[in-house]
Amino acid sequence: MPSASLRQWRNDRTPRLAQIEAQCAASLAAVSPNAHLIEENLRGYVVLLSAHFQGFCRDLYTEAAMLIARRVRLSLRMLVLGQFTTHRALDHGNPNVDNIAKDFDRFGFDLRAKMNTDPANAPRRQHLAALNQWRNVAAHQGTIHPAGGPLTFPMLQAWRNSCDGLAASLDAILYNELRKILRRKPW
Amino acid sequence: MVTLDKGASGMAAKKKPPPTFNLGDRVKIRFHPDLRARIVELRGPLGPGGAQVYRVRISRKPKPSYIELTADLMEAIPPAE
Repeated sequence: MPSASLRQWRNDRTPRLAQIEAQCAASLAAVSPNAHLIEENLRGYVVLLSAHFQGFCRDLYTEAAMLIARRVRLSLRMLVLGQFTTHRALDHGNPNVDNIAKDFDRFGFDLRAKMNTDPANAPRRQHLAALNQWRNVAAHQGTIHPAGGPLTFPMLQAWRNSCDGLAASLDAILYNELRKILRRKPW
Repeated sequence: MVTLDKGASGMAAKKKPPPTFNLGDRVKIRFHPDLRARIVELRGPLGPGGAQVYRVRISRKPKPSYIELTADLMEAIPPAE
């Protein structure tokens, strides 16, 4: 069974993104396409995809922290949860691999090394980096565009698939690591 | 036919469900009587067994701090208090 965070990703976040994707597709398929509307839709989709992936990562982090904290007595729990929450990179920073690893490494394992054991994660990480570069351009009205050409609909579809793969991979990594720490199935 | 009567002991064995809070509610944090906080975000059922997780802002100087807690660590502050 997946974590509550992954279920939320699949049952709530992904359908929401699918609606935005359908809106982008509709603007591209219009009889007389409106170039400005297409660009705005794609830029909006970039920001939302990054935001939802950030939300998923933060949810998974919180879920794991809660499971660890449950193992200490009630009177100490707030102190432990405070340590997990303080200076959490995913509260403010983009969901890039640096920020994700910075937070999840607090659980006592090397997240990058764990991610690297799955060869499928290498292209996904490249997609995530490109997504976050374009997210910053869109959110801050940046004028210098990342390498790789203009933002296109197929790029976004590929990035969404990569986020989906990374979400499942992170869920599996956390499952295995928490199972070692807690000596029981975490979810 | 035998009817089992659990009586008072059966009732006492039932666990009291944790309270639920809404956005903006003021709360005290259990075991930390000096701390006052406010619910600023409902994070969803991310706690053990699907327990609701709340993000709370703790009033501190020079600036507030934030923490995520489950309901069993908080008590509501009545509006008049």
